[in-house]
Amino acid sequence: MKYVFQFGIVWDHLPQLLEGAWLTLRLSLGAFALGFAVAVMLAFLRTAGPRGVRTAIAAYVEIIRNTPFLVQLFIIYFSLPALGIRMEAITAALVGMSINFSGYATEILRSGIEAVPKSQIEAGHSLGFTRMEIFRHIVAFPALRTVYPALASQFVLLMLGSSVVAAISAEELTAVTNSLQSTTFRAFEFYFVATAMYLAMALGSRVLLNALYWFVFERRQPLREAWSR
Amino acid sequence: MKRREMLIGTAIGGAAGVATLAAITQSNQAFAQTTPGAQPGAGGTLDRIIKEKKLRVTAEVTSPPFGILDKNNQPDGSEIATSRQLAKDLGVELELVQVTAPQRIPALLAGRADVAISSLSITFDRAKTVMFAPPHGALSIVIAGPKGKQIRNAEDMAGKKIGLTRATLEEATVPAIAPKSASLVMFDDIAATMQAMVSGQVDAAGMSAFAAKSVGDRNPKAEIENKFTVTTAYYAAAVRPGDFDLLQFLRTWVFLNKQKGVLAEIYQKYTQVALVDLPAM
Repeated sequence: MKYVFQFGIVWDHLPQLLEGAWLTLRLSLGAFALGFAVAVMLAFLRTAGPRGVRTAIAAYVEIIRNTPFLVQLFIIYFSLPALGIRMEAITAALVGMSINFSGYATEILRSGIEAVPKSQIEAGHSLGFTRMEIFRHIVAFPALRTVYPALASQFVLLMLGSSVVAAISAEELTAVTNSLQSTTFRAFEFYFVATAMYLAMALGSRVLLNALYWFVFERRQPLREAWSR
Repeated sequence: MKRREMLIGTAIGGAAGVATLAAITQSNQAFAQTTPGAQPGAGGTLDRIIKEKKLRVTAEVTSPPFGILDKNNQPDGSEIATSRQLAKDLGVELELVQVTAPQRIPALLAGRADVAISSLSITFDRAKTVMFAPPHGALSIVIAGPKGKQIRNAEDMAGKKIGLTRATLEEATVPAIAPKSASLVMFDDIAATMQAMVSGQVDAAGMSAFAAKSVGDRNPKAEIENKFTVTTAYYAAAVRPGDFDLLQFLRTWVFLNKQKGVLAEIYQKYTQVALVDLPAM
Protein backbone atom coordinates (compact mmCIF):
# COMPACT_ATOMS: atom_id res chain seq x y z
CA MET A 1 0.00 0.00 0.00
CA LYS A 2 1.37 3.32 -1.03
CA TYR A 3 -0.42 6.51 -0.10
CA VAL A 4 0.47 9.81 -1.71
CA PHE A 5 -0.26 12.74 0.58
CA GLN A 6 -1.93 15.67 -1.07
CA PHE A 7 -2.03 18.61 1.28
CA GLY A 8 -2.64 21.07 -1.56
CA ILE A 9 -6.36 20.42 -1.39
CA VAL A 10 -6.35 21.27 2.33
CA TRP A 11 -4.86 24.71 1.65
CA ASP A 12 -7.56 25.29 -0.98
CA HIS A 13 -10.17 24.79 1.72
CA LEU A 14 -8.26 26.59 4.49
CA PRO A 15 -10.76 29.49 4.75
CA GLN A 16 -13.56 27.01 5.52
CA LEU A 17 -11.41 25.26 8.13
CA LEU A 18 -10.50 28.59 9.74
CA GLU A 19 -14.16 29.56 9.82
CA GLY A 20 -14.90 26.28 11.58
CA ALA A 21 -12.09 26.87 14.07
CA TRP A 22 -13.40 30.39 14.70
CA LEU A 23 -16.84 29.00 15.55
CA THR A 24 -15.17 26.44 17.85
CA LEU A 25 -13.43 29.28 19.69
CA ARG A 26 -16.56 31.42 19.87
CA LEU A 27 -18.65 28.55 21.19
CA SER A 28 -15.99 27.64 23.76
CA LEU A 29 -15.52 31.20 25.02
CA GLY A 30 -19.27 31.83 25.08
CA ALA A 31 -19.95 28.60 26.95
CA PHE A 32 -17.11 29.36 29.35
CA ALA A 33 -18.49 32.84 30.16
CA LEU A 34 -22.10 31.71 30.54
CA GLY A 35 -21.24 28.46 32.31
CA PHE A 36 -18.85 30.20 34.69
CA ALA A 37 -21.40 32.87 35.63
CA VAL A 38 -23.97 30.18 36.38
CA ALA A 39 -21.38 28.11 38.26
CA VAL A 40 -20.38 30.99 40.57
CA MET A 41 -24.00 31.44 41.60
CA LEU A 42 -24.56 27.73 42.00
CA ALA A 43 -21.33 27.23 43.95
CA PHE A 44 -22.28 30.05 46.34
CA LEU A 45 -25.75 28.57 46.91
CA ARG A 46 -24.29 25.06 47.11
CA THR A 47 -22.14 26.07 50.09
CA ALA A 48 -24.13 28.91 51.70
CA GLY A 49 -27.73 28.32 50.60
CA PRO A 50 -30.58 26.62 52.46
CA ARG A 51 -30.58 22.83 52.66
CA GLY A 52 -33.20 22.26 49.93
CA VAL A 53 -31.32 24.45 47.46
CA ARG A 54 -28.04 22.74 48.31
CA THR A 55 -29.55 19.32 47.58
CA ALA A 56 -31.10 20.51 44.33
CA ILE A 57 -27.78 21.90 43.11
CA ALA A 58 -25.93 18.76 44.13
CA ALA A 59 -28.43 16.74 42.09
CA TYR A 60 -27.98 19.07 39.08
CA VAL A 61 -24.21 18.69 39.25
CA GLU A 62 -24.38 14.91 39.52
CA ILE A 63 -26.84 14.60 36.62
CA ILE A 64 -24.67 16.76 34.35
CA ARG A 65 -21.44 15.03 35.30
CA ASN A 66 -22.80 11.50 35.02
CA THR A 67 -24.55 11.62 31.65
CA PRO A 68 -22.93 11.74 28.20
CA PHE A 69 -22.53 15.21 26.69
CA LEU A 70 -23.79 13.92 23.34
CA VAL A 71 -27.04 12.75 24.91
CA GLN A 72 -27.47 16.13 26.64
CA LEU A 73 -27.07 17.79 23.24
CA PHE A 74 -29.59 15.46 21.60
CA ILE A 75 -32.13 16.26 24.33
CA ILE A 76 -31.69 20.00 23.77
CA TYR A 77 -31.72 19.82 19.97
CA PHE A 78 -34.04 16.91 19.16
CA SER A 79 -36.29 16.48 22.21
CA LEU A 80 -37.03 20.04 23.38
CA PRO A 81 -38.80 20.93 20.08
CA ALA A 82 -41.51 18.46 21.16
CA LEU A 83 -42.14 20.81 24.12
CA GLY A 84 -42.18 23.81 21.82
CA ILE A 85 -38.62 24.98 22.57
CA ARG A 86 -36.84 25.16 19.23
CA MET A 87 -33.26 26.38 18.90
CA GLU A 88 -30.88 26.76 15.98
CA ALA A 89 -28.06 24.24 15.99
CA ILE A 90 -25.47 26.84 17.11
CA THR A 91 -27.71 28.12 19.92
CA ALA A 92 -28.42 24.56 21.03
CA ALA A 93 -24.68 23.84 20.99
CA LEU A 94 -23.95 26.95 23.09
CA VAL A 95 -26.69 26.13 25.59
CA GLY A 96 -25.57 22.51 25.83
CA MET A 97 -21.91 23.41 26.30
CA SER A 98 -22.76 26.10 28.90
CA ILE A 99 -24.92 23.73 30.93
CA ASN A 100 -22.32 20.99 30.73
CA PHE A 101 -19.50 23.31 31.73
CA SER A 102 -21.53 24.83 34.58
CA GLY A 103 -21.92 21.37 36.11
CA TYR A 104 -18.19 20.72 36.22
CA ALA A 105 -17.27 24.30 37.19
CA THR A 106 -19.75 24.31 40.11
CA GLU A 107 -18.04 21.28 41.58
CA ILE A 108 -14.58 22.76 41.01
CA LEU A 109 -15.56 26.07 42.63
CA ARG A 110 -17.22 24.30 45.54
CA SER A 111 -13.97 22.53 46.36
CA GLY A 112 -12.18 25.89 46.22
CA ILE A 113 -14.71 27.53 48.52
CA GLU A 114 -14.47 24.70 51.01
CA ALA A 115 -10.69 25.04 51.02
CA VAL A 116 -10.95 28.58 52.44
CA PRO A 117 -10.11 28.32 56.17
CA LYS A 118 -13.21 28.41 58.37
CA SER A 119 -11.58 31.00 60.65
CA GLN A 120 -11.57 33.58 57.85
CA ILE A 121 -15.31 33.20 57.34
CA GLU A 122 -15.84 33.46 61.11
CA ALA A 123 -13.73 36.61 61.06
CA GLY A 124 -16.09 37.98 58.42
CA HIS A 125 -19.09 37.18 60.59
CA SER A 126 -17.50 38.91 63.56
CA LEU A 127 -16.97 42.03 61.45
CA GLY A 128 -20.72 42.03 60.72
CA PHE A 129 -20.43 41.04 57.03
CA THR A 130 -23.47 39.52 55.35
CA ARG A 131 -23.14 36.11 53.62
CA MET A 132 -22.94 37.85 50.26
CA GLU A 133 -20.22 40.21 51.51
CA ILE A 134 -18.21 37.35 53.03
CA PHE A 135 -18.43 35.53 49.70
CA ARG A 136 -17.40 38.55 47.67
CA HIS A 137 -14.65 39.99 49.87
CA ILE A 138 -13.24 37.00 51.73
CA VAL A 139 -14.01 33.74 49.96
CA ALA A 140 -14.18 34.40 46.21
CA PHE A 141 -10.62 35.49 45.47
CA PRO A 142 -8.63 32.81 47.34
CA ALA A 143 -11.14 30.14 46.29
CA LEU A 144 -10.76 31.06 42.63
CA ARG A 145 -7.02 31.12 43.00
CA THR A 146 -6.96 27.63 44.48
CA VAL A 147 -9.01 26.10 41.70
CA TYR A 148 -7.69 28.18 38.82
CA PRO A 149 -5.53 25.36 37.31
CA ALA A 150 -8.47 22.97 37.44
CA LEU A 151 -10.75 25.54 35.79
CA ALA A 152 -8.19 26.23 33.08
CA SER A 153 -7.94 22.51 32.31
CA GLN A 154 -11.71 22.28 32.23
CA PHE A 155 -11.79 25.08 29.65
CA VAL A 156 -9.43 23.15 27.39
CA LEU A 157 -11.59 20.05 27.83
CA LEU A 158 -14.64 22.14 26.98
CA MET A 159 -13.00 23.33 23.76
CA LEU A 160 -11.88 19.86 22.70
CA GLY A 161 -15.25 18.39 23.69
CA SER A 162 -16.99 20.93 21.47
CA SER A 163 -16.18 18.65 18.51
CA VAL A 164 -19.21 16.63 19.58
CA VAL A 165 -21.63 19.40 18.56
CA ALA A 166 -20.93 18.46 14.92
CA ALA A 167 -23.51 15.73 15.54
CA ILE A 168 -26.31 18.30 15.78
CA SER A 169 -25.11 20.07 12.61
CA ALA A 170 -23.30 23.02 14.20
CA GLU A 171 -20.64 23.77 11.59
CA GLU A 172 -17.59 24.00 13.85
CA LEU A 173 -14.12 22.68 13.03
CA THR A 174 -14.95 18.96 13.25
CA ALA A 175 -18.15 19.32 11.21
CA VAL A 176 -16.34 21.30 8.50
CA THR A 177 -13.55 18.72 8.45
CA ASN A 178 -16.05 15.85 8.17
CA SER A 179 -17.81 17.54 5.26
CA LEU A 180 -14.58 18.30 3.42
CA GLN A 181 -13.08 14.84 3.84
CA SER A 182 -16.28 13.15 2.69
CA THR A 183 -16.40 15.15 -0.53
CA THR A 184 -12.67 15.10 -1.33
CA PHE A 185 -11.83 11.60 0.01
CA ARG A 186 -8.71 13.09 1.59
CA ALA A 187 -9.56 11.95 5.11
CA PHE A 188 -6.03 11.70 6.43
CA GLU A 189 -4.91 15.14 5.29
CA PHE A 190 -7.98 16.95 6.61
CA TYR A 191 -8.04 15.19 9.98
CA PHE A 192 -4.31 15.79 10.34
CA VAL A 193 -4.70 19.53 9.79
CA ALA A 194 -7.79 19.68 12.03
CA THR A 195 -5.86 17.92 14.79
CA ALA A 196 -3.04 20.42 14.44
CA MET A 197 -5.55 23.27 14.68
CA TYR A 198 -7.11 21.84 17.85
CA LEU A 199 -3.63 21.40 19.32
CA ALA A 200 -2.71 24.98 18.49
CA MET A 201 -5.94 26.30 20.02
CA ALA A 202 -5.49 24.20 23.17
CA LEU A 203 -1.85 25.19 23.69
CA GLY A 204 -2.60 28.80 22.81
CA SER A 205 -5.40 29.02 25.34
CA ARG A 206 -3.19 27.44 28.01
CA VAL A 207 -0.57 30.14 27.44
CA LEU A 208 -3.22 32.87 27.60
CA LEU A 209 -4.80 31.39 30.72
CA ASN A 210 -1.41 31.17 32.44
CA ALA A 211 -0.76 34.80 31.56
CA LEU A 212 -4.18 35.71 32.98
CA TYR A 213 -3.33 33.83 36.18
CA TRP A 214 -0.13 35.78 36.59
CA PHE A 215 -1.91 39.04 35.83
CA VAL A 216 -4.74 38.47 38.31
CA PHE A 217 -3.10 36.54 41.13
CA GLU A 218 0.69 36.74 41.05
CA ARG A 219 1.18 40.38 40.12
CA ARG A 220 -0.40 41.69 43.28
CA GLN A 221 0.50 39.26 45.95
CA PRO A 222 0.46 41.05 49.30
CA LEU A 223 2.60 38.42 51.03
CA ARG A 224 5.35 38.51 48.46
CA GLU A 225 5.28 42.30 48.39
CA ALA A 226 5.61 42.30 52.15
CA TRP A 227 8.58 39.99 52.08
CA SER A 228 10.42 41.77 49.33
CA ARG A 229 10.25 45.09 51.09
CA MET B 1 -28.75 -16.31 36.31
CA LYS B 2 -25.77 -14.03 36.72
CA ARG B 3 -23.47 -16.82 35.62
CA ARG B 4 -25.56 -17.58 32.60
CA GLU B 5 -25.52 -13.96 31.55
CA MET B 6 -21.78 -13.94 31.97
CA LEU B 7 -21.45 -17.02 29.82
CA ILE B 8 -23.59 -15.49 27.12
CA GLY B 9 -21.61 -12.27 27.36
CA THR B 10 -18.35 -14.16 27.00
CA ALA B 11 -19.73 -16.09 24.05
CA ILE B 12 -20.84 -12.89 22.31
CA GLY B 13 -17.53 -11.23 23.07
CA GLY B 14 -15.64 -14.23 21.77
CA ALA B 15 -17.71 -14.35 18.61
CA ALA B 16 -17.13 -10.64 18.02
CA GLY B 17 -13.40 -11.20 18.48
CA VAL B 18 -13.35 -14.07 16.00
CA ALA B 19 -15.40 -12.04 13.52
CA THR B 20 -13.01 -9.10 13.82
CA LEU B 21 -10.04 -11.39 13.33
CA ALA B 22 -11.69 -12.97 10.30
CA ALA B 23 -12.44 -9.52 8.86
CA ILE B 24 -8.83 -8.45 9.35
CA THR B 25 -7.39 -11.57 7.70
CA GLN B 26 -9.91 -11.26 4.88
CA SER B 27 -9.03 -7.66 4.18
CA ASN B 28 -5.35 -8.58 4.23
CA GLN B 29 -6.05 -11.16 1.59
CA ALA B 30 -7.84 -8.57 -0.47
CA PHE B 31 -4.68 -6.50 -0.56
CA ALA B 32 -2.36 -9.47 -0.96
CA GLN B 33 -3.90 -10.94 -4.09
CA THR B 34 -3.93 -8.09 -6.49
CA THR B 35 -3.89 -10.11 -9.69
CA PRO B 36 -7.30 -9.71 -11.28
CA GLY B 37 -9.01 -13.00 -12.03
CA ALA B 38 -6.86 -15.02 -9.69
CA GLN B 39 -7.95 -18.40 -11.05
CA PRO B 40 -8.76 -17.99 -14.72
CA GLY B 41 -9.34 -21.75 -15.25
CA ALA B 42 -9.50 -23.43 -18.62
CA GLY B 43 -12.28 -21.53 -20.35
CA GLY B 44 -12.89 -18.40 -18.33
CA THR B 45 -14.74 -17.64 -15.15
CA LEU B 46 -18.19 -18.81 -16.28
CA ASP B 47 -16.86 -22.25 -17.22
CA ARG B 48 -15.06 -22.52 -13.92
CA ILE B 49 -18.22 -21.61 -11.96
CA ILE B 50 -20.22 -24.26 -13.77
CA LYS B 51 -17.47 -26.86 -13.43
CA GLU B 52 -16.88 -26.22 -9.74
CA LYS B 53 -20.63 -25.82 -9.17
CA LYS B 54 -19.90 -22.82 -6.99
CA LEU B 55 -20.62 -19.10 -7.45
CA ARG B 56 -18.90 -16.65 -5.14
CA VAL B 57 -20.73 -13.34 -4.70
CA THR B 58 -19.95 -10.35 -2.48
CA ALA B 59 -22.35 -9.82 0.40
CA GLU B 60 -22.45 -6.43 2.06
CA VAL B 61 -24.80 -6.70 5.02
CA THR B 62 -24.93 -3.23 6.55
CA SER B 63 -27.16 -1.51 3.98
CA PRO B 64 -30.85 -2.16 4.53
CA PRO B 65 -32.86 -3.07 2.56
CA PHE B 66 -30.15 -4.32 0.15
CA GLY B 67 -28.06 -6.33 2.54
CA ILE B 68 -28.70 -7.02 6.20
CA LEU B 69 -28.15 -9.72 8.80
CA ASP B 70 -31.41 -11.37 9.78
CA LYS B 71 -32.48 -12.43 13.29
CA ASN B 72 -30.27 -15.51 13.06
CA ASN B 73 -27.29 -13.42 11.93
CA GLN B 74 -27.59 -14.79 8.38
CA PRO B 75 -27.18 -12.49 5.34
CA ASP B 76 -30.48 -11.33 3.89
CA GLY B 77 -31.84 -8.42 1.87
CA SER B 78 -32.72 -7.71 -1.74
CA GLU B 79 -29.17 -8.08 -3.08
CA ILE B 80 -28.67 -11.36 -1.20
CA ALA B 81 -31.97 -12.62 -2.65
CA THR B 82 -30.76 -11.50 -6.09
CA SER B 83 -27.51 -13.46 -5.58
CA ARG B 84 -29.49 -16.56 -4.53
CA GLN B 85 -31.62 -16.25 -7.66
CA LEU B 86 -28.52 -15.98 -9.84
CA ALA B 87 -26.95 -19.08 -8.30
CA LYS B 88 -30.23 -20.94 -8.69
CA ASP B 89 -30.52 -19.99 -12.37
CA LEU B 90 -26.91 -21.06 -12.92
CA GLY B 91 -27.64 -24.33 -11.15
CA VAL B 92 -24.71 -23.94 -8.79
CA GLU B 93 -24.11 -23.50 -5.09
CA LEU B 94 -23.88 -19.94 -3.72
CA GLU B 95 -20.98 -18.84 -1.57
CA LEU B 96 -21.47 -15.42 0.01
CA VAL B 97 -18.25 -13.50 0.56
CA GLN B 98 -18.87 -10.92 3.28
CA VAL B 99 -17.40 -7.51 2.53
CA THR B 100 -17.69 -3.98 3.88
CA ALA B 101 -19.04 -1.28 1.57
CA PRO B 102 -15.62 0.13 0.54
CA GLN B 103 -14.38 -3.46 -0.04
CA ARG B 104 -17.02 -4.39 -2.60
CA ILE B 105 -14.86 -3.70 -5.66
CA PRO B 106 -11.46 -4.61 -4.15
CA ALA B 107 -12.83 -8.04 -3.14
CA LEU B 108 -14.01 -8.62 -6.70
CA LEU B 109 -10.74 -7.47 -8.26
CA ALA B 110 -8.72 -9.57 -5.82
CA GLY B 111 -10.56 -12.68 -7.02
CA ARG B 112 -12.26 -13.39 -3.69
CA ALA B 113 -15.63 -13.16 -5.44
CA ASP B 114 -16.68 -13.86 -9.05
CA VAL B 115 -19.47 -11.27 -9.10
CA ALA B 116 -20.17 -8.21 -6.99
CA ILE B 117 -23.88 -7.87 -6.24
CA SER B 118 -23.97 -5.28 -3.46
CA SER B 119 -26.11 -2.33 -4.60
CA LEU B 120 -23.25 -0.90 -6.68
CA SER B 121 -24.60 2.18 -8.45
CA ILE B 122 -23.36 2.47 -12.01
CA THR B 123 -20.87 5.34 -12.21
CA PHE B 124 -18.09 6.37 -14.58
CA ASP B 125 -15.46 5.97 -11.89
CA ARG B 126 -16.46 2.40 -11.14
CA ALA B 127 -16.84 1.55 -14.83
CA LYS B 128 -13.14 2.31 -15.22
CA THR B 129 -12.23 -0.62 -12.95
CA VAL B 130 -15.06 -3.17 -13.32
CA MET B 131 -17.60 -4.18 -15.99
CA PHE B 132 -21.24 -3.59 -15.17
CA ALA B 133 -24.13 -5.85 -16.13
CA PRO B 134 -27.42 -4.12 -17.02
CA PRO B 135 -29.11 -2.67 -13.91
CA HIS B 136 -31.34 -4.93 -11.86
CA GLY B 137 -32.51 -2.32 -9.34
CA ALA B 138 -32.89 1.40 -8.75
CA LEU B 139 -32.34 3.72 -5.85
CA SER B 140 -34.09 7.07 -5.82
CA ILE B 141 -32.90 10.04 -3.81
CA VAL B 142 -35.88 12.14 -2.76
CA ILE B 143 -36.54 15.28 -0.79
CA ALA B 144 -38.91 14.20 1.96
CA GLY B 145 -40.69 16.32 4.52
CA PRO B 146 -43.82 16.83 6.61
CA LYS B 147 -47.08 17.31 4.71
CA GLY B 148 -47.42 21.00 5.67
CA LYS B 149 -44.21 22.10 3.93
CA GLN B 150 -44.79 23.34 0.38
CA ILE B 151 -41.89 21.94 -1.63
CA ARG B 152 -42.69 20.73 -5.14
CA ASN B 153 -39.35 21.18 -6.87
CA ALA B 154 -35.76 22.27 -6.35
CA GLU B 155 -36.63 26.01 -6.51
CA ASP B 156 -39.09 25.60 -3.62
CA MET B 157 -36.16 24.72 -1.35
CA ALA B 158 -35.22 28.44 -1.36
CA GLY B 159 -35.06 29.78 2.19
CA LYS B 160 -35.72 26.36 3.67
CA LYS B 161 -33.54 24.19 5.87
CA ILE B 162 -32.72 20.91 4.15
CA GLY B 163 -31.11 18.09 6.16
CA LEU B 164 -28.50 15.87 4.46
CA THR B 165 -26.20 13.07 5.57
CA ARG B 166 -22.48 13.34 4.89
CA ALA B 167 -20.77 10.95 2.44
CA THR B 168 -23.98 9.82 0.74
CA LEU B 169 -25.45 10.04 -2.73
CA GLU B 170 -27.80 12.78 -1.50
CA GLU B 171 -24.86 14.88 -0.34
CA ALA B 172 -23.36 14.46 -3.80
CA THR B 173 -26.52 15.46 -5.67
CA VAL B 174 -28.74 17.83 -3.63
CA PRO B 175 -26.27 20.75 -3.23
CA ALA B 176 -25.95 20.93 -7.03
CA ILE B 177 -29.67 21.62 -7.52
CA ALA B 178 -30.43 23.58 -4.33
CA PRO B 179 -30.99 27.34 -4.68
CA LYS B 180 -28.42 29.59 -2.97
CA SER B 181 -30.81 30.68 -0.24
CA ALA B 182 -31.53 27.11 0.86
CA SER B 183 -29.53 26.23 3.94
CA LEU B 184 -28.11 22.73 3.81
CA VAL B 185 -27.76 21.20 7.26
CA MET B 186 -25.27 18.31 7.45
CA PHE B 187 -25.51 15.37 9.82
CA ASP B 188 -23.10 12.49 10.32
CA ASP B 189 -25.56 9.65 10.09
CA ILE B 190 -28.94 9.01 8.56
CA ALA B 191 -30.55 8.49 11.97
CA ALA B 192 -29.72 12.08 13.00
CA THR B 193 -31.02 13.44 9.68
CA MET B 194 -34.30 11.57 10.14
CA GLN B 195 -34.59 12.78 13.74
CA ALA B 196 -33.99 16.38 12.66
CA MET B 197 -36.80 16.08 10.10
CA VAL B 198 -39.25 14.46 12.51
CA SER B 199 -38.53 16.98 15.28
CA GLY B 200 -38.88 19.87 12.83
CA GLN B 201 -35.29 21.11 13.14
CA VAL B 202 -35.14 21.02 9.34
CA ASP B 203 -38.01 21.69 6.92
CA ALA B 204 -37.19 18.71 4.73
CA ALA B 205 -34.38 16.25 4.15
CA GLY B 206 -32.69 14.45 1.29
CA MET B 207 -32.50 10.66 1.60
CA SER B 208 -33.18 7.47 -0.31
CA ALA B 209 -36.83 6.73 -1.01
CA PHE B 210 -36.52 3.66 1.24
CA ALA B 211 -35.21 5.71 4.14
CA ALA B 212 -38.04 8.22 3.63
CA LYS B 213 -40.59 5.44 3.63
CA SER B 214 -39.21 3.78 6.74
CA VAL B 215 -39.11 7.04 8.71
CA GLY B 216 -42.65 7.86 7.54
CA ASP B 217 -43.94 4.44 8.55
CA ARG B 218 -42.39 4.65 11.98
CA ASN B 219 -43.65 8.20 12.64
CA PRO B 220 -47.18 8.33 11.22
CA LYS B 221 -47.93 11.53 13.18
CA ALA B 222 -45.19 13.46 11.38
CA GLU B 223 -46.98 12.84 8.03
CA ILE B 224 -43.76 12.51 6.05
CA GLU B 225 -44.20 12.50 2.29
CA ASN B 226 -41.89 12.52 -0.72
CA LYS B 227 -41.74 16.02 -2.18
CA PHE B 228 -39.82 15.29 -5.36
CA THR B 229 -37.22 12.92 -6.75
CA VAL B 230 -33.72 14.38 -7.00
CA THR B 231 -32.10 11.59 -8.94
CA THR B 232 -32.44 7.89 -9.61
CA ALA B 233 -29.32 5.75 -9.49
CA TYR B 234 -29.36 2.32 -11.05
CA TYR B 235 -27.32 -0.44 -9.50
CA ALA B 236 -26.06 -3.56 -11.18
CA ALA B 237 -23.91 -6.63 -10.81
CA ALA B 238 -20.23 -6.11 -11.64
CA VAL B 239 -17.56 -8.49 -12.87
CA ARG B 240 -13.80 -8.27 -13.33
CA PRO B 241 -12.59 -6.62 -16.52
CA GLY B 242 -12.15 -9.29 -19.17
CA ASP B 243 -14.77 -11.70 -17.82
CA PHE B 244 -16.92 -11.27 -20.92
CA ASP B 245 -18.40 -14.77 -20.74
CA LEU B 246 -19.79 -14.11 -17.29
CA LEU B 247 -20.93 -10.62 -18.28
CA GLN B 248 -22.83 -12.01 -21.24
CA PHE B 249 -24.53 -14.54 -19.00
CA LEU B 250 -25.54 -11.71 -16.63
CA ARG B 251 -27.00 -9.72 -19.55
CA THR B 252 -29.15 -12.68 -20.50
CA TRP B 253 -30.01 -13.31 -16.88
CA VAL B 254 -31.19 -9.73 -16.25
CA PHE B 255 -33.21 -9.79 -19.50
CA LEU B 256 -35.02 -13.01 -18.61
CA ASN B 257 -35.69 -12.17 -14.97
CA LYS B 258 -36.91 -8.71 -15.90
CA GLN B 259 -39.32 -10.33 -18.34
CA LYS B 260 -40.50 -12.94 -15.83
CA GLY B 261 -40.98 -10.28 -13.17
CA VAL B 262 -38.55 -11.96 -10.75
CA LEU B 263 -36.48 -8.79 -10.25
CA ALA B 264 -39.57 -6.69 -9.53
CA GLU B 265 -40.79 -9.32 -7.09
CA ILE B 266 -37.53 -9.38 -5.10
CA TYR B 267 -37.38 -5.58 -5.08
CA GLN B 268 -40.99 -5.22 -3.92
CA LYS B 269 -40.57 -7.84 -1.22
CA TYR B 270 -37.59 -6.16 0.46
CA THR B 271 -38.22 -2.47 -0.20
CA GLN B 272 -42.04 -2.34 -0.19
CA VAL B 273 -41.61 0.01 -3.11
CA ALA B 274 -42.49 -0.84 -6.72
CA LEU B 275 -39.49 -1.18 -9.03
CA VAL B 276 -39.26 1.54 -11.66
CA ASP B 277 -38.74 0.67 -15.33
CA LEU B 278 -35.16 -0.46 -15.69
CA PRO B 279 -33.45 0.99 -18.74
CA ALA B 280 -31.55 -1.34 -21.05
CA MET B 281 -27.78 -1.19 -21.20
